[in-house]
Amino acid sequence: MTPSTLALLSLFVPLGAAVLLGLLGPLRRTGRPAAFVSVAGALVALAGAVAILAGGDAALKPGAHLVWGWLSAGPATAVGIHVDGTSAWMLLVVTLVATCVQIYSLGYLHDEPPAALGRYFTYQSLFLFAMNTLVLAPNLLQAFLGWELVGLVSYLLIGFYFRKPSAAKAAVKAFWVTKFADLGFLIGLVTLYAKTGAFEWTAVTPVAGFVTLMLFFAVMGKSAQFPLHIWLPDAMEGPTPVSALLHAATMVAAGVFLIVRAEPLFAQAPMTREIMAYVGGFTALFAACIAVVQTDIKKVLAYSTCSQLGYMVTALGAGDTFAGYFHLSTHAFFKALLFLGAGSLIHAVHSNELKDMGGLFKKMPFSGAVFIIGAVALAGVPPFAGFFSKDLILEAVEHHHLYVPLAALAIAAFLTAFYMTRTVMMALFGAPSHAAEHAHEPGIDMKLPLGVLALLAIVAGFGGSWLAGLTGHEYAFHFTLVGGAGTAIGLLGIATGFWMFGPAQGGAPIKRGMAPVGVFIRYGLMDRLSTVAYGLMLAVGAIIAWIDRYVIDGVMNWSGWILLVGGRRLRGLQTGNVQDYVYAVALGIVVLGAWGILR
Amino acid sequence: MTDHILALTVAAPFVAALLMLLVPGRNHPVLRVIGVTGSVLSLVGAIYVALHYDQAKGGLQFAQNYPFVPSFGIDIRLAADGWSVALFLLTGIIMTAGSLASATLTNRPKEFYILLLVLVSGVFGVFVCQDLFVFFLFYEIAVLPMYLLIGIWGSKGKVAPAGPFKSLWKDLDVGGKEYAAMKLTLMLLVGSAAILVGMLAMYFAMGGKSFDMVAMAHFKFPREMQVWVFPMLWLGFGSLAGVFPFHTWSPDGHAAAPTAVSMLHAGVLMKLGAFGVMRVGMILLPEGAATWAPIVGAVAALNVIYGAVSAMAQKDLKYVIAYSSVSHMGVVMLGAATLDPDGWNGAIYQMFAHGIMTGLFFALVGLIYERAHSRWVPGMGGFAKVMPGVAAFFTLAGLSSLGMPGSAGFVAEFLVFAGAWKSGHLMWAIPAMIGAWVTAVYVLRATKMIFWGEGPSHEFHDLHDAKRVEWAALWILGTCIVAFGCAPRLVLDFIGKATSEYLPAIVDAAHLVAMGGGK
Amino acid sequence: MTLDAYVLIAGFMFCIGLYGVLTRRNAIGILVSVELMVNAANINLAAFAHFGRGIDGQVLVLFTTALTVAEVVVGLALVLLLFRRRKDILVDLANGLKG
Repeated sequence: MTPSTLALLSLFVPLGAAVLLGLLGPLRRTGRPAAFVSVAGALVALAGAVAILAGGDAALKPGAHLVWGWLSAGPATAVGIHVDGTSAWMLLVVTLVATCVQIYSLGYLHDEPPAALGRYFTYQSLFLFAMNTLVLAPNLLQAFLGWELVGLVSYLLIGFYFRKPSAAKAAVKAFWVTKFADLGFLIGLVTLYAKTGAFEWTAVTPVAGFVTLMLFFAVMGKSAQFPLHIWLPDAMEGPTPVSALLHAATMVAAGVFLIVRAEPLFAQAPMTREIMAYVGGFTALFAACIAVVQTDIKKVLAYSTCSQLGYMVTALGAGDTFAGYFHLSTHAFFKALLFLGAGSLIHAVHSNELKDMGGLFKKMPFSGAVFIIGAVALAGVPPFAGFFSKDLILEAVEHHHLYVPLAALAIAAFLTAFYMTRTVMMALFGAPSHAAEHAHEPGIDMKLPLGVLALLAIVAGFGGSWLAGLTGHEYAFHFTLVGGAGTAIGLLGIATGFWMFGPAQGGAPIKRGMAPVGVFIRYGLMDRLSTVAYGLMLAVGAIIAWIDRYVIDGVMNWSGWILLVGGRRLRGLQTGNVQDYVYAVALGIVVLGAWGILR
Repeated sequence: MTDHILALTVAAPFVAALLMLLVPGRNHPVLRVIGVTGSVLSLVGAIYVALHYDQAKGGLQFAQNYPFVPSFGIDIRLAADGWSVALFLLTGIIMTAGSLASATLTNRPKEFYILLLVLVSGVFGVFVCQDLFVFFLFYEIAVLPMYLLIGIWGSKGKVAPAGPFKSLWKDLDVGGKEYAAMKLTLMLLVGSAAILVGMLAMYFAMGGKSFDMVAMAHFKFPREMQVWVFPMLWLGFGSLAGVFPFHTWSPDGHAAAPTAVSMLHAGVLMKLGAFGVMRVGMILLPEGAATWAPIVGAVAALNVIYGAVSAMAQKDLKYVIAYSSVSHMGVVMLGAATLDPDGWNGAIYQMFAHGIMTGLFFALVGLIYERAHSRWVPGMGGFAKVMPGVAAFFTLAGLSSLGMPGSAGFVAEFLVFAGAWKSGHLMWAIPAMIGAWVTAVYVLRATKMIFWGEGPSHEFHDLHDAKRVEWAALWILGTCIVAFGCAPRLVLDFIGKATSEYLPAIVDAAHLVAMGGGK
Repeated sequence: MTLDAYVLIAGFMFCIGLYGVLTRRNAIGILVSVELMVNAANINLAAFAHFGRGIDGQVLVLFTTALTVAEVVVGLALVLLLFRRRKDILVDLANGLKG
């Protein structure tokens, strides 16, 4: 089969599963059979993605392009698929992680009622379709369609436990914040359309600066860049596999993917790139700071995701598309691994809090081991996946003389290693909490995806050259000073973490001394900001609605009332006495006569 | 037979209404069957028109003239263009769903169905009528039954006295169904009076021989006259389209109206107003339209954001949806004011998309109200547990209303924004986009408050999901939202064809106006 | 006799009738006065027909006469009903349509 056919398969089989489950209520409500439909769809999609890449570079080099007119007959507003190295690899990453997560969910959500399970897998299939729509987009229009759809599924999945008020709140918050950012996408899209008449990735236009700036605003929302990152930590209300798939590996990386795809546009906008580098660098540092003080294991990982996305955005801002893309891929694997590993731990102790864990390594050696693999990959320890991509990013940023972001990234690298060590120490070692006593390893359905992802987190870094070749870039690992320094900083972070949180607890006094800072950071201003903004909006709404009801409508009522009262006054003229009317007629005749004479 | 398909479609509901006169009022099943059959027949007619409209040829098709008052040049001229095809379909869909949704009505169903069917005949008539006088006649037939429908079958609300006009409350019974019915009728009739004046001005300016709209479109009215007649038509028709500040009948009217009436009113009747502005105001008076377009657009942009922000503060579910209609009709008028092909296509598509979406919304609100006996949103919560189907459809309607890709609403809003941008009116597009975002805020907030959270409190003991025939309306409308969102060209091609026929003349006129010459 | 004389008489009769309609309280009286006014008009019609051309006026007189009869029938019937209900026929007391 040709790459296009395979891509269509990967795109529409999950959609078919979603539609089937969506429309066939009885099937959906059976729970596990419904889940198997969804997993089967994901497996087919994965097989398609693998087959595309197995077909070799030759077919992917020019890129298979297949479009149908959507808004009009021509290609200008078309939808379809575009398969080249970049999208084919992304397709593989997405379908692979999605498949792992879906299989993992079978075990993780084992106790859910069947109807809820069916609903969950319907959303999962829909997500895969939406994400593939975005990944395979032949133009920005379709990218926007997929972009919005993944946002929708994210909303639905965060709100999966919709009876929990906090989940409901988190779901709408995520939607509102990302949708607000999407205004940027819409403006950029419409501008591009107004100026070039189409939505091409490769458009050359004088408004590229504005368009890319607007697109980047949307990316800030979707990829959780400061200050629009506020939804991501709340999004952890969703089931953990959802956090792994959407809010760590794929959906939040969509923003990065978008910039990678739209490279020709961004290349025309050095200004936007510079802004990106600074925003990304700041986010990487800022989120890493907050991650240090979190007590909820998922929140640590959520802020860590923010921070790593900041890395990618900085790399893209430095103009090194491949570095960002490479880190996106490795991050997808090890962050999904971390989330799923954390999910195992949470599943075992029924709590997200680090203090409810502790000493879990002895009870759950497999889960503990894969979690540690993920952690060292994230910390950038050679030769794990994160090492190579992070090294490349630091090198790229240094190469483009962006020293301020570089410094931010370096500090973030230290903090990343530090908080991951802290998390590992607190969750897996030390004294077991009460809840951790009865912890046990999960079943094979959860172990299998963990194993696959752990393997990838170990080896994915070595595929860099191959990936570069696939996407038309040059890359070969070589040792540089800045990369070495980054690694050293990471190792230093691990050592510090070990010193403060390890068995020896040498840094306990420092820990106590820093506690107020931690509290300050944790309950900082940023998360309140959305609450304030929301309250402000409701207040404006209330004022406008009051004006509408009582002033504008009041004028309408008043004009009606004038007629009413006027009529009430004038009704006295209607005496009911026939002769009065005749008088009036006679008077009328006289007046008319007089007018006729005098005219 | 097929030559007269338009007349047959227009007449089908009316004939059904006449048939109903012969059925005793107690015989509910027969009445229901006749009512639904009349609606379905008109939908079949609309689909037939869509299938047999020759897109390659375009223009006015299925044209038929039926003499009416020849001495004044009034004929019933029926002919369909691309717009008619789309709006015909919309009316057929909404009416079918509406008649199904009112199948559970027990209070005087005979009179209810008769009025509803007569009204729909009027709506169908407006969309295909090419004679201005008869156009107006159909328009009034569509508007007037609303008075009785709301006044008799409506539901009461209450609005607390406040504000600078507080003293009036004791005289007006603000919020009651009689109040709502009267307010709606009076405001729309004032609009009609303005239309009548504008219409007669055009008739006499042409020599008082004919009301033929095709001839009028080719006739070049003097600029001075266009400039004063156009605002009459804009505000006249606009009052039905909810143009600010003549929108205030809409929240009260929709809130008081029974389910099917709200569906039809927000779903198709408000579109008559916007359609009138475009079909009569802009196409017949291009220079007037070009002169006034900046103001029409600015008011429309205001409408979008104003309606959305007002909706955010509403606590009564019907008011939320009603204000959202005001906001969405703003998008239609905004598209119309761009005088750009994409903007116009978007405007007509938004009529279509919003019609279906709001129809679904009101059908759902009716279901919720019937079960919960309350429309007070803050008192609800956790309904998704007991009515998952309703919750799913409500979310779908909400997504369409906030412009989620994959739903019809996205296509429409996107085209309108693109049109506004292309015509250089950045300052319209941005408030409109923000309005679309505010829509996301209040729609999802309402969804969350009604359906999410802990299970329903014990005061709601009678909640259950939709049943049997109630599903029909939901599925019809829900399927349409998704189908026309995924495959917009099903109707967009028709719309685009007609737009490409009408727009060039107006663009030329706009150039003339911009240059200040060409009088 | 000249046309003027007819018109003058007719005008005079009309004024008497009008005066009666305006001042009488008795419904019968009002009806009689209305008759006077109608007949004043009839005289005019006949006179103009006689001095002018054609017979349109005379035809109209016949028509009016028939109409008057019908009117009196309806009027008297109403008066009768009014009397049955109110035991009097004073029009100024029958102001049920007062606003």
